[in-house]
Amino acid sequence: MSAHHIIPMKTLISTTVALVVLTIVTVAVFYLPIPAPFDVVVAILLASFKATLVGMFFMGLYYDEKFNTVVLIFSFLFFLVFVGITLLDTMFRDTGISVW
Amino acid sequence: MAEAHSVDNPRLLHHFRNADQQFSSSKLGMWLFLFTEIMFFGGLFVAYIIYRAWNPELFTMAATQLDTMLGAVNTVVLIGSSLTIALAIRAAQTDKQKMIVNYLLLTIFLASVFLVIKYFEYTHKFDMGIFPGAYYTFDGIDHPKANVFFSIYYMMTGLHGLHVIIGIGLMIWLVIRAKIGDYSSQWYTPVEMCGLYWHIVDIIWIFLFPLMYLIE
Amino acid sequence: MSASSTTNGKTLKVRYFDIEENPTEHYLNAETGLKSWLFTVDHKRIGLMYLASIALFFFVGGVLALVLRTELFTPAENLMTAETYNRIFTIHGAVMVFLFIIPSIPAALGNFLLPMMLGAKDVAFPRLNLASFWIYSIGALFTLASLAVNPIDTGWTFYTPYSVQTGSAVILMTLGVFIMGFSSILTGMNFIVTIHKMRAPGMTWGRMPLFLWAMYATSIIQVLATPVLAITLALLIMERTLGIGIFDPALGGDPVLYQHFFWFYSHPAVYIMIVPAFGVISELIATFSRKTIFGYWAIAMSSLAIAFIGSLVWGHHMFVSGQSELSTVVFSFLTFFVGIPTGIKIFNWLATMHKGSIDMKTPMLYACIFLFLFTIGGVTGIMLGAISVNVQLHDTYYVVAHFHYVMMGGTVMAFLGGLHYWWPKMTGKMYNEFWGKISAVIIFIGFNLTFLPQFIMGSQGMPRRYYSYIEQFQTMHQLSTIGSYILGVGFVIIAVYLAHSMFRGQKAPSNPWGARTLDWMTSSPPAHHNFNYQPVLNNGAYDFHKPIADFTLGIAEDDHGHEHKGEPVKQQEQNA
Repeated sequence: MSAHHIIPMKTLISTTVALVVLTIVTVAVFYLPIPAPFDVVVAILLASFKATLVGMFFMGLYYDEKFNTVVLIFSFLFFLVFVGITLLDTMFRDTGISVW
Repeated sequence: MAEAHSVDNPRLLHHFRNADQQFSSSKLGMWLFLFTEIMFFGGLFVAYIIYRAWNPELFTMAATQLDTMLGAVNTVVLIGSSLTIALAIRAAQTDKQKMIVNYLLLTIFLASVFLVIKYFEYTHKFDMGIFPGAYYTFDGIDHPKANVFFSIYYMMTGLHGLHVIIGIGLMIWLVIRAKIGDYSSQWYTPVEMCGLYWHIVDIIWIFLFPLMYLIE
Repeated sequence: MSASSTTNGKTLKVRYFDIEENPTEHYLNAETGLKSWLFTVDHKRIGLMYLASIALFFFVGGVLALVLRTELFTPAENLMTAETYNRIFTIHGAVMVFLFIIPSIPAALGNFLLPMMLGAKDVAFPRLNLASFWIYSIGALFTLASLAVNPIDTGWTFYTPYSVQTGSAVILMTLGVFIMGFSSILTGMNFIVTIHKMRAPGMTWGRMPLFLWAMYATSIIQVLATPVLAITLALLIMERTLGIGIFDPALGGDPVLYQHFFWFYSHPAVYIMIVPAFGVISELIATFSRKTIFGYWAIAMSSLAIAFIGSLVWGHHMFVSGQSELSTVVFSFLTFFVGIPTGIKIFNWLATMHKGSIDMKTPMLYACIFLFLFTIGGVTGIMLGAISVNVQLHDTYYVVAHFHYVMMGGTVMAFLGGLHYWWPKMTGKMYNEFWGKISAVIIFIGFNLTFLPQFIMGSQGMPRRYYSYIEQFQTMHQLSTIGSYILGVGFVIIAVYLAHSMFRGQKAPSNPWGARTLDWMTSSPPAHHNFNYQPVLNNGAYDFHKPIADFTLGIAEDDHGHEHKGEPVKQQEQNA
């Protein structure tokens, strides 16, 4: 697949529309009474979906060499590693090892 | 683009075999740079997540000081600017020299709108005494770590704002070169790379918006 | 000769080329004048500029180390006050880590060798490469400026809250390190792209020299971890200027969080330091054992495995910092896993040497020293990964000895081996083999005399970074100090004979060691654009059973039918 793909006008416009609609949904969801941890989960899922749209169609990953997508996914994985392992400390400071 | 025997292509640097190799190298390099950008902002997101996990009530209280409407408008503005820079790349690919300049100018305009709104948000907070770090004097939030929330807020939006300013600088440079007619379907690498950079700035804001403004 | 197919089944017309011995025109004299060095985009010259810079900083850091050891000869005040001592050990650490060892093999040897080993004319982004060097220099200037203003006394780790409270020039120092981080990132990016996109025809991933696999793994860590250091130091600077309260407990922050941030970079950074050394050792051991490397894929993949597992274990620096017991257990558990790929490498190197025709030239001598010292350093590291042992030995000289065995016994020995190995290629001159071996032996003796007593002292409870000590440790400290002087003498000898060889040395042949990798398939010193032909690969990097003449294959005609320069040996056509 060529790196010089010309992204169709229709794709660009519909991506933009989808992103704007999703932004409105994000704000709307904020006013819905969703119980505590799930409101964040929904917000993050919506944001991730928006980011995926930007990545695939604006940044052209959908048409591009697949390795570039691998690079992007790895960056998110390493970020998750950073957060996840640090939380293992910060969330369990007061819990002794006896939890096991 | 098929096997470009670009011996006559003045843009082909001597150490590449052909223009395709050169272009895909630049693109991979740019993606790796975006990787570092994600890890760079990632540090701040980690700080955010940890402090939010420690003080969920603080984040709920402090977020009321942020204007959801302005945040949402800025999100749409940045999405629009992502579209316009994608259109600038498209114009380059289809050899519409004049439209490259126009779309870039439009992107610069939208980026400036973003910064102006951000400026009003900042000054409004400064008026209330919500300064970063040790200079924090606002007493409307009854929480001992209210200053830390706003430190994180200023660091994240500030670093993001700095990226927007750098983006505007890059696009001004692109406009100048596009006016000379430097970019065409044969060679438009800088426009493409600047576009990738601009989209990542957009993506970071897409995450910042719900995390900062929409906390209940 | 049959050829294996590569990418697209396109037929390449190839032939063998002769390598010119001792050419009159090469990269060193292609252009002259100071500007031709400072503004060069030639990766070989940039590599040499890095080499000169790191040699300078190694000298600075080394002299500081000798000063420290001299102070510790007795428990009393010999040369300096306790406050000066704190500053000097900090500068020794920061200079050695950020200015010497991180750029040592990747930036100096890596820049020089990587494009040549790939059969490319240059790295993918030559101007960015030059920019990396300048960014490194600017960062170094900031660091030096901090020394002039008020030398920092926090230790090289800049732990909060002390780094927020101290009056020394923390901002200048961390700004310097911040800037140098970008140099590291850009070099890593450049190398990854070069390896992906610039390989010569026929250079499949499985034919890459193992040095390149090591550089690839290193570059991944550089790109992945260095941005986190950048944001950490930016936050630290903000903490000092604005008091943002993220790391400062006085303002509601958490100092242990700083340690997480710092070690998320700095633990992978120790793999930035050691993985390139593994790459050098793979080249040295294969070449001087005259044998196909044992377990090519095991060595290649273990480099990547170290890069990934090494990113998960940063908390083993924080066992006594007050992090949660749960994370301590998890980090300790994960730490042991790093030992597996490292062990795989050691065993594969030993298996390569087994029944090989070992030629104990100076580089191979250093490789053997590496195997000996690094194994001690690595095994004591596994020991320190065990929580109960770590709590006893934390912040003692045992830890100091451990990381010097890894960093100096590992990286510096591999660097010296590599420097001697590629010296003929870089300068076109042979070093003095006799003095090379003498100094290697002196360094080996001096090193062990310096750091073995530190293991003993540490296990008996001597804390690190102390200005004074109780009497029972005096003998050990004095042995260690004497050892460091011997070590210093060894390095002076190296400096003298290498400098001598540049002016008076014998001319080097193009391939003095009979190696099979592409960096030797060009003249010594190499031509301005590395090769006088476009190399094509038909063999693996360690096919020592094939004659060297089989390795100088190149494209016979370019796309437009112009013949390439060079003397034809035998003509043939093949599917490449």
